[in-house]
Amino acid sequence: MGPIVYDQVVKTYGSRAALQGLSLTLPAGKVTALLGPNGAGKTTAISILLGLSKATRGTVRVGEQMAGDRALRERMGAMLQESPVADGLRVREMLQLFRGYYRDPLPLEHLLMISGLEQKAGRRASSLSGGEKRRLAFALAMAGNPDILVLDEPTTGMDVESRMRFWDVLKVYAMQGKTILFTTHYLEEADAVADHIAVIADGQLVAEGTPQSLKSAMPLRKISFRIIGEGFDEQLMLKWPGVREVRWYGEQTELFCEDTDRLLPLVLRSGIPLTDIQIHAARLEDVFQRLTGTHADNGGSNR
Amino acid sequence: MKSFVAQSRAEMLRLVRSPFFLLFSVLMPVAFYSIFAVLNGTSVEVGGTTWGTYSLMSMTAFSLIGTAAGQFGIRLSYERKDGLIRLMKLTPLSTGAWASAKIAAHLLVHLIIIAVMFGYSAIAFRTEMSAWLWVASGLWLLVGSIPFLALGILLGMIRNTDAATAIANLVYMGLSVLGGLWMPLSTFPDWMQKVGSMLPSHAYASVSWSIVAGGEVDWLDVPVLLGYGAMFLMIALMLHRRRENA
Repeated sequence: MGPIVYDQVVKTYGSRAALQGLSLTLPAGKVTALLGPNGAGKTTAISILLGLSKATRGTVRVGEQMAGDRALRERMGAMLQESPVADGLRVREMLQLFRGYYRDPLPLEHLLMISGLEQKAGRRASSLSGGEKRRLAFALAMAGNPDILVLDEPTTGMDVESRMRFWDVLKVYAMQGKTILFTTHYLEEADAVADHIAVIADGQLVAEGTPQSLKSAMPLRKISFRIIGEGFDEQLMLKWPGVREVRWYGEQTELFCEDTDRLLPLVLRSGIPLTDIQIHAARLEDVFQRLTGTHADNGGSNR
Repeated sequence: MKSFVAQSRAEMLRLVRSPFFLLFSVLMPVAFYSIFAVLNGTSVEVGGTTWGTYSLMSMTAFSLIGTAAGQFGIRLSYERKDGLIRLMKLTPLSTGAWASAKIAAHLLVHLIIIAVMFGYSAIAFRTEMSAWLWVASGLWLLVGSIPFLALGILLGMIRNTDAATAIANLVYMGLSVLGGLWMPLSTFPDWMQKVGSMLPSHAYASVSWSIVAGGEVDWLDVPVLLGYGAMFLMIALMLHRRRENA
């Protein structure tokens, strides 16, 4: 099993370009989060990988196989944004039906367990709540014991408990070496779960790397403090090594820098009367905002 | 083959468990059959047979047109909107296997409807026919329902599910009434008879009426019905191609 490779992928809908030459490599056996503001092209990128739509130009390959190849479906499981159920079928019946599509499916009990629907196996799938339908959709994606899992906003619509359970299960699959790609609006999820993050905006890749490398690539760490009385001197502070930006709001001062460890002793020895000193780590949310010029939009949808 | 059987079974369960199925495919045709048969008198002669058998053919055809065109079409429209069709495309099940399982499930359900209607008629109205006529008319009603499945596929192409529901119901009711399934065409004004006699619903029911009357079947009805079926399917395929390329 090789990596998933997007090579100069362009997708246009009429005159609107959803992807404008997206090139991206998702390492095999790793968990990759695909992030981007609404309309960035995340869902389009996923649709092409799954063979649901065709690239206008460029290619998407999984190892040696082209996206959309019938043989790939046997090895891929996916959760789309909507979680349709076959009305009239019970949860158990729907899972059994999907198991039947694959050569080497996971046991029914296992699927019920990961969906947390053991108690509702005999219920009509259409009577499940929105969050339960999401969990069923995840179990359906796992039915064929896929090597590759593609999840478009998997936790949207899940309650907190379901989300935690979902990521716990996913981490187990990640440890088994499955290749996992997911999109999310919850940046803390990407930060906590992904080995690799790709940020796209306007249909192009704007940054990629580990959560750690993305955060350290930008001067987003900061030291904040209050100055007692006089002593604020912006010119002096900008001369301290590594300081990129100085912001102040009344008594409160913030120094943005790359390396807070080196800066802190200088601040303390400066003789400025300080109190309330705090060191802030970079948050993925800040990185995302800088890269895309937008705010992370929790719980939104980009259909 | 195993997945085809499982898929057909699942599709059949879904169809039969729908409350619309019980209402529109079973209860309504049985009720209308009872009303028409009793009002006209079950043993009163009509078209070389009695109202008891004539109406049985009409109302079974009415039920099957509703199931094949109406319910099939509405269901397909919903499956497209809900994303179920997209979900199926992600699995290794081929589109061909999926579609043929749906059709196989429908034909089995159609057979059940025929058995229920015929059984009801034999018990409630003591309808009597030779075994050959029971089998021949039943088989024709089953086979002749296939072109209406093509109409269902076409109606299922309608993207807006509300519109699909309204149009499907209008089409199947219209075909049934204008095709002479509720009242014989001979009771209609001249121009309506002309329109009615050209409809697929009339061709469908007309063959079954001739069979139970033991009379000459107008074999022209068969190519007419086939032609309609082929046309529905071709338009549906054309629409499908155009959407795929969009």
